[in-house]
Amino acid sequence: MEQWKQVLEEEILPKVMKPLRYQGNEYNAVKKDWKAVKLRSLFAFPDVYEVGMSHLGLQILYGLVNEQADYLLERVFAPWTDLEEELRSRGIPLFSLESVKPIAAFDCLGFTLQYEMSYTNILNMLDLGGIPLLAKERGDDYPVIMAGGPCAYNPEPLVDFIDFFVLGEGEEVILEIYQIMAEHRALRQGKQDKKQLLKELAQVNGVYVPAFYEALYDEKGKFAGMKVKEPGVAPRVAKRVVKDLDQAYFPLRPIVPYLEVVHDRMMLEVLRGCTRGCRFCQAGVLYRPVRERSKDLLVQQAEQLSKNTGHNEISLTSLSTSDYTCVEPLLREVLNRFEGRNIGVSLPSLRVDSFSVNLAKEVQRVRKTGLTFAPEAGTQRLRDVINKNVTEEKMLEVAEAVFSEGWTQLKLYFMLGLPTETLVDLEGIAELAAKVLAKGREILREKGSKQAPKITVSVSSFVPKPHTAFQWEAQDSLALLQEKQKYLRSKIKEKRITYNYHDAELSFMEAVFAKGDRRLGQVLLAAWRLGCRFDGWSEYFCYEKWQEAFRQVGIVPEQIANVPLEFTTPLPWDHLDSGVKKEFLWQEREKAYQITTTGDCRFAACSVCGVCQDLDVAVSLKKGE
Amino acid sequence: MLLCLQYSKEEEARFLSHLDLMMAMERAFRRAGLPLAFSEGFNPHPRIAYASALAVGVTSEGEYLDLQLREELPPEVVLERVSKVLPRGLRVKAVVPVTKRKQSLMAVINLARYRVEVPIVQDYDQEIEKELLLQEVIDQEVIDRVIAQAIAFPVYLVQRQGKKGIREVNIRPGIRELTGQIRGRKLILEMAVQTGSSGNVKPEEVVKMVRARSPWQLGENLRIHRLGLYIYADTQVWLPLERS
Ligand code: SF4
Repeated sequence: MEQWKQVLEEEILPKVMKPLRYQGNEYNAVKKDWKAVKLRSLFAFPDVYEVGMSHLGLQILYGLVNEQADYLLERVFAPWTDLEEELRSRGIPLFSLESVKPIAAFDCLGFTLQYEMSYTNILNMLDLGGIPLLAKERGDDYPVIMAGGPCAYNPEPLVDFIDFFVLGEGEEVILEIYQIMAEHRALRQGKQDKKQLLKELAQVNGVYVPAFYEALYDEKGKFAGMKVKEPGVAPRVAKRVVKDLDQAYFPLRPIVPYLEVVHDRMMLEVLRGCTRGCRFCQAGVLYRPVRERSKDLLVQQAEQLSKNTGHNEISLTSLSTSDYTCVEPLLREVLNRFEGRNIGVSLPSLRVDSFSVNLAKEVQRVRKTGLTFAPEAGTQRLRDVINKNVTEEKMLEVAEAVFSEGWTQLKLYFMLGLPTETLVDLEGIAELAAKVLAKGREILREKGSKQAPKITVSVSSFVPKPHTAFQWEAQDSLALLQEKQKYLRSKIKEKRITYNYHDAELSFMEAVFAKGDRRLGQVLLAAWRLGCRFDGWSEYFCYEKWQEAFRQVGIVPEQIANVPLEFTTPLPWDHLDSGVKKEFLWQEREKAYQITTTGDCRFAACSVCGVCQDLDVAVSLKKGE
Repeated sequence: MLLCLQYSKEEEARFLSHLDLMMAMERAFRRAGLPLAFSEGFNPHPRIAYASALAVGVTSEGEYLDLQLREELPPEVVLERVSKVLPRGLRVKAVVPVTKRKQSLMAVINLARYRVEVPIVQDYDQEIEKELLLQEVIDQEVIDRVIAQAIAFPVYLVQRQGKKGIREVNIRPGIRELTGQIRGRKLILEMAVQTGSSGNVKPEEVVKMVRARSPWQLGENLRIHRLGLYIYADTQVWLPLERS
């Protein structure tokens, strides 16, 4: 054993918190022979193990790649600060979990971009691996570095560090990419010619190589569009999308963590996409169209997952599980099959209606789960603006059903700072919560229950996201967001209502990195040098350091987050195509200001967003089959 | 039916806490498709009773648990099915039906054997380094003497954090055997100590006792390995499997 590994095993791991975070000995983890494969790749999750291991995308790609004889895919997560300290002080490189190899020893690394505030962790992980941060400083001997996930739809703040991005659903494209990389190496005695490799990769649909594009700026220094620099490279890159969820790869032998992770359960993916059309929601655009998986296949998968994992809970996951057209028969069948084995079911995302409460009640037969609903805004007017199809009447109906069925707690999610919001809308949040509470008191009293109802109001700040109808909107200034948070606090008077809100400074930074262009790479670098990491964790997020980073680089973050844009303003992500047309998004924005709603294309007419037309896919519902 | 399983927690699983290990075992039993018996109540748990908890970082080759099944199943079938689905680092070594024993494992087990590797952090004299072999012999004599002296004394007090604050406990009566061997720059202690509800001696405490009398500086990075858990009864030491 190399000496550093021995030091790691004997001195470091016994000392750090949760050493299991750094060992790949879990059930179903795959350890392959490095010499027997043509490509050695590493899935890098820029957050801690417990967060990363709860991510379905990791399990999908891990399973898919490792089932191929020619490739291997190992894992690495952001080391917690205690391990980072040990690694730095002893000069030990960041290593993969499975084979304990330095991350620089792999042929390629893939980061998943789930949220903007994980970006500094990417830089930190590369640095801990002894890999130069800047893509242009990495020669042919370093691994090629890719990234995918929702933030890849505006990856511009990361282009200095990442060699190429993958747009869309990874299982659809990863093997094409691997084949190109493996063949490229096979022709060169296991080495790579990075420039040439990137050229080859740029030919794959869904692959974006930022070095082949030049960002243009006008005389005022404003972003003015993107120009292709390299001959033969497409001016726009469109996402890849799975056509048929029944045919898509699904991991039936997922890794079963030893350590307790955020979601310790089997994940059944019942559908992908959501076309309810909330105008602030990025996932609702990126994962279009809605594709459901057949009930019978899901039941089969549940049986296999149960046999292969031993988990005692099945989660029916998706962006909106109560929308699954076969949800009732599926739920009934899964409950009946698994109840005798004491395997429970959970429903993570519930729509605001009594149908969903009934589903939750079914689930309660085995295990009690907390209930959360998201009306998002406090007044009907604003809910129509954002196209959130929830009425006060429905909300009270839900409250009635929830408290009648024996729950005494309810959590409500709202967003603050939405376009067109006024104080009336904030008061509406407090009023709606108070009405729900009153309904709860009434019902519980009628039932003769001694318990008092409890409501939690959880409020996040609106972040304008690329590829949404609100991508042109300004975020409220930090001061205004904080003012609104305080105002809402003053309006919530009931003791039985708990009010909590997200850090507005964090939401501000999120907006900046969601919408920013290439120049933000400098800020990331500066922030990382100032010690920023784990910014998504409130105990580590340090706004002062970020302010300092912006000052050092000379970029004013308010000009990115707090300025409204025109339809004609070139956007840093215009060359990246989710399939949904910009015209459609603008039209949705116009409708927002006219307080007009748009129907769900699953049940109403197609609103011609562009996905099905341009990407040759279709809505696929399983009802009646 | 009630089964007693003997299992090991090996290198690859050494950082599991007792809670992690319990979850890993439950999942393995579920994967094996065993007809688990569940507790009554709102949140039913499989009826698995552990003999003793192992701390994070500690390995063992002789752990035990009682497993209640809803249906009869030959022990060798359970052994085979579970062995196929255990994660790396956990291994079931034997399964026997519990017929005679009326008490829980935790109630009957009262002796544990450990092997503890203690690093010697003394700077070796270069001269002596050349004759490491000779050095070992000398050190062996020294360690034998140190242990003999420590054992000869009827009292060794350690401080323990209890519910009502710190209290002093004499661990010497709970140490049944203790030997030490020098291997390179490590001192290997093997010990048999009292464990369970009637009194518990921790291997770290025994190391402390030796350290107090050692002529060399003994390091803090201990590698603790449990060799087994036993039942001392009728003037004899039994394996739990023998008294099931
Ligand atoms: S193209 Fe039409 S049917 Fe397809 S996702 Fe868009 S709105 Fe729905």
